[in-house]
Amino acid sequence: MHIAEGFLPAGHAVGWTVAAAPFVVHGARAVVKEVRENPESTLLLGAAGAFTFVLSAIKLPSVTGSSSHPTGTGAGAILFRPPVMALLGTVVLLFQALLLAHGGLTTLGANAFAFAVVGPWVGYGTYRLTRWLGGGLLPGVFAGMVLADLATYVTTSLQLALAFPDATTGLAGAAAKFLGVFALTQIPLAIGEGLLGVLLFRVLTVNARPELERLGLLSPAPVPAAGGAA
Amino acid sequence: MTGLAVDDAAWSSAWRRRSPGDKLLLCGGLVGCALVLPAWPGSVLVGLVAVGLALGPARVPARTFGRAVRLPLAFVTVGALTAVVSVSGDGLGWAPDAASRAASLLGHSVAGGAAVLLLATTTPMSDLLPALRRLRVPAAVVEVASVVYRLLFVLLQSLRTIREAQTARMGHSSLRRSYRSTGVLAAAVLTRSWDRARRMQEGLAGRGMETGLRVLPEVLPSSRAFLATSVTGLAGIVAASVLVP
Repeated sequence: MHIAEGFLPAGHAVGWTVAAAPFVVHGARAVVKEVRENPESTLLLGAAGAFTFVLSAIKLPSVTGSSSHPTGTGAGAILFRPPVMALLGTVVLLFQALLLAHGGLTTLGANAFAFAVVGPWVGYGTYRLTRWLGGGLLPGVFAGMVLADLATYVTTSLQLALAFPDATTGLAGAAAKFLGVFALTQIPLAIGEGLLGVLLFRVLTVNARPELERLGLLSPAPVPAAGGAA
Repeated sequence: MTGLAVDDAAWSSAWRRRSPGDKLLLCGGLVGCALVLPAWPGSVLVGLVAVGLALGPARVPARTFGRAVRLPLAFVTVGALTAVVSVSGDGLGWAPDAASRAASLLGHSVAGGAAVLLLATTTPMSDLLPALRRLRVPAAVVEVASVVYRLLFVLLQSLRTIREAQTARMGHSSLRRSYRSTGVLAAAVLTRSWDRARRMQEGLAGRGMETGLRVLPEVLPSSRAFLATSVTGLAGIVAASVLVP
């Protein structure tokens, strides 16, 4: 769930845009460099962006019978790295605002900061940490995707708390309110997104192993020793 | 039909042939007014103008516009209620000016949302993306965004087809099966997107693509009358908001 158009006061909308800008510009520079060196990357990066948009349109099954949508940025950050996701996530947010009326233009900066900067970096950091501690690909993906989802909604809650401090208890009270409404309720859905990530990467390790090796997620499978004449 | 109602409306809108720059000025102005002017009468006027223009001269289907305006209301309602509930040692209560603050938040959001939708339902993304070049967004970034726009409809169609096939094969008959099917669905869409990108790249390489995806831009001339009316209307909204207490 993104912050809707017009919901944030003008000062906050500008402030979050300024905060997200360096990350998005850094991502744009990474993309420009990649495309200059390999013009064919335009299509692969476009495919990555389209996948992130479509992933957020997949309904996540839930125990209560209702359904929600994964953020998809955790999977994107693990596959394509956070700087690229800062740009692709912002492009996806722009498309969601203009094609689905989800989010907004003045709140694009705030949503980009939560969805395209904090979520991917937390998800990727958790994934790398899990791998560094000896966890395999799938535990890393699970932890990364759960925390990327949660970090996005915790950030959104804190952005709202900053914009609307509580009348009596100030920022702390407002943070408790918004975290209770937008982040606590997200925990089962974040776990659901982690499970979806495990299932996704389990299928990918079988069906798209060369791509995962090229992206550096799996080490190349040992080549069987050639027997007989070449 | 592309499968996204707002995009379909944009392609068939009566304002489709208007200059994207003209529409950006009008809608950007309305979004700005909804953001900075007081909810009464600023947001009310912005909302009325945006809805009136969309359903009137731009001939956007009322059902499409109404449904799209309603979509963010769940967030706005929950967010506004949370903002005006006060937490203290005695428990929960309403903030002193709860009703006016909630109404103001609702007004700003609905009016701003309607102004964004006026742009979205009259201007396809393929018209808006070239305008980003004039805002000095690098060509490579605009190209990637254009590929995202063109690929997402193909992938959304794949998503629907695969999900339908999974449902027909009892793939969503229980929670466990549904999770497994959803994982397979996401993986299938990702590998298809890679496959599509690879095939398009091979096709373009065969046609000599070396420096990027260059296409002839469609020229949609700006209208002085439209610009003058937009500026006058926006000035009228600002003046009314300043003069009306």
